[in-house]
Amino acid sequence: MNQSFDKLLDARGLNCPMPLVNARKEVGKLEPGQVLKIIATDRGSVADFQGWAKIAKNVELIGQETESVDGANVYTHYVKRTG
Amino acid sequence: MTKKVESAWTTGDLLASLECRQKFFVLDVRNRDEFERFRLEGREPLPAVNVPYFEMLELGGQDEMVDSVVACVEQHLSGQLPKDQLILSVCAKGDTSEYVAQGLDRLGYASANLKGGMKAWGEHYATRAVVEAPDLSIYQVSRPARGCLSYVVASDAKALVIDPLRHLDPYLELARSKGFRIEMVIDTHGHADHISGGVALASASHASYHLHPYDAIHPMDVLPATIPYHAIHDSQVFPVGRVELEALHIPGHTLGLVALRVDDRYLFTGDSICIGSIARPDLGGKAESWAPLHGRSLRKLLGLPGSMTVLPGHFSSLAEENDASLFAATLDDLKRRNHGLQILEQETEEGFIRYLLENLPPFLPEYVDIKRVNAGLLAPSEDEASALELGKNVCALSQASKNCKGETA
Repeated sequence: MNQSFDKLLDARGLNCPMPLVNARKEVGKLEPGQVLKIIATDRGSVADFQGWAKIAKNVELIGQETESVDGANVYTHYVKRTG
Repeated sequence: MTKKVESAWTTGDLLASLECRQKFFVLDVRNRDEFERFRLEGREPLPAVNVPYFEMLELGGQDEMVDSVVACVEQHLSGQLPKDQLILSVCAKGDTSEYVAQGLDRLGYASANLKGGMKAWGEHYATRAVVEAPDLSIYQVSRPARGCLSYVVASDAKALVIDPLRHLDPYLELARSKGFRIEMVIDTHGHADHISGGVALASASHASYHLHPYDAIHPMDVLPATIPYHAIHDSQVFPVGRVELEALHIPGHTLGLVALRVDDRYLFTGDSICIGSIARPDLGGKAESWAPLHGRSLRKLLGLPGSMTVLPGHFSSLAEENDASLFAATLDDLKRRNHGLQILEQETEEGFIRYLLENLPPFLPEYVDIKRVNAGLLAPSEDEASALELGKNVCALSQASKNCKGETA
C-alpha cells in the first residue's frame, strides 16, 4: 500500500492499549487532513483501530495492512484527522 | 466504601471463585463481538458490562488510559457498577484491563484484574483425581472455559491418556509428578470443537496414538487423514498396568466414536453422553443419516451396568460439577437427570430421531476447519489455532444443554 502520511508512530513491541493510546494522542496534534501512520506488533490492534475509528470524532481509518517481517507480523494503520 | 481486596486474579483464582459462587461483577473491555462470542460464565450467568477500552478512551476523553477510565466511569458507568462487590476487569490478554482495574481502584471500587485475560482463561487447565489407588488412578483434566474434559488412566506407573487437549504441559507435568510413563494416547473420536493434543502428546511421550479409522476420514472433505495412527476396532482391549480398557464402537456423534470402559466401574463416553446433555449428530454434516446410529449407540450404552461412573468428554456449565468438583455421575443417576436420555427412554426410535433433529444448535463454520486440523489436513499457527478454539464448545444438543442449566448437583 503506497499511502502517503505526515507523521510516523512506531508502536512495535508495545502491548494493548498503548498503540491506540499513543496514536490517539498523536492524531490530536495533526492538522485536519493530515495522516498518521502507526506500525504495531500487537495483533489485537487491527480490530481495535477499526472499532475506535467508528466511534471517535474527527478520525478516519483510511487503510490497514499486515506484513510478515522475519516471521513476525507487523500491522500498519493509517489514520486521518478529518476535523 | 467496600474494603480493598487483592488486585490481581490468576485464572486459578477465577475458577475457584466461580466454583464457590463468590459474587463478583465483570467489566469486560474487549470488542463487542469478542464479548458476545466468549464471555466468563459461572454456574449461573455472571453479571457483566461490556465497554470496549477505546470507547472508554473516547467517553473519558483523557490522554492517559487510567485517567480516561476514571472519567468514563464517573460520567457514564457509575450507575451500572456495584459498589458492594468486587469488579473484575477483563480484556483479551490482561494488559489493558490492568489500567481499568487501576482506574476503578482510584475511584474506591473493590477492584481486581484478570491476569492474562481471556486468552489465559481459555487456556487454563485443572487436573483433579477421580480415583487414586495403587491398581488404578484416573485424573480428569479439564479446560473449564471451553467445557472440554480429558483423562489420564494410570496403573503400575503406566498411563493411557484419553482425548488430550491442545496444550501438552498438564499431561506431561502430571506424568512427571506422579511417576507415570504415558504409553498410549486415544482420541475417542475426531473432534470438531477443539484441536486434539493426541498426536503431539504421543510423539512427545514416545507413546502410540489410537483413533477409530472411520474418524480418520474428514466427513465433509471425504479426504483421508495424514496423521499417523493405529486403528481402533470394536471390543479392542488396551491393557494399562493391572487394568484393561475396552473400546465400544458407538457411532452417531461421529462415525468412529468409541467409548472406553474399565470393567464395570468406569465408562469414558467421549461426547455421546455428558452430565446434562447428549451429543449432537450433525457435526459431520450428515445429521439425518447419523441420528439413527446415535440413538442405537446410546441405547447400547444404557444397557451397561447402572452403577458405572460416566466420565464425559464435555460439560456445558459448571453447574454440572458434583460435590467433589468433578464432572462425573453414575449411569443410573444420568437416566434420571439427563434430558436427552429421558427422551431416549420415553420415545420410539423415530420420535428420538425427530427430537435430535429438532434441537440442533447453530453450526459453527470453525468446526469444519478444526476437524481438518485434527486429521492433519490443515496446520494452523498458534494464533490461528487459538482463534479457531475461541469460546465454549457446542457439541451437545441445545435442548439438552438448556435443560441442565439451573439444575444443580
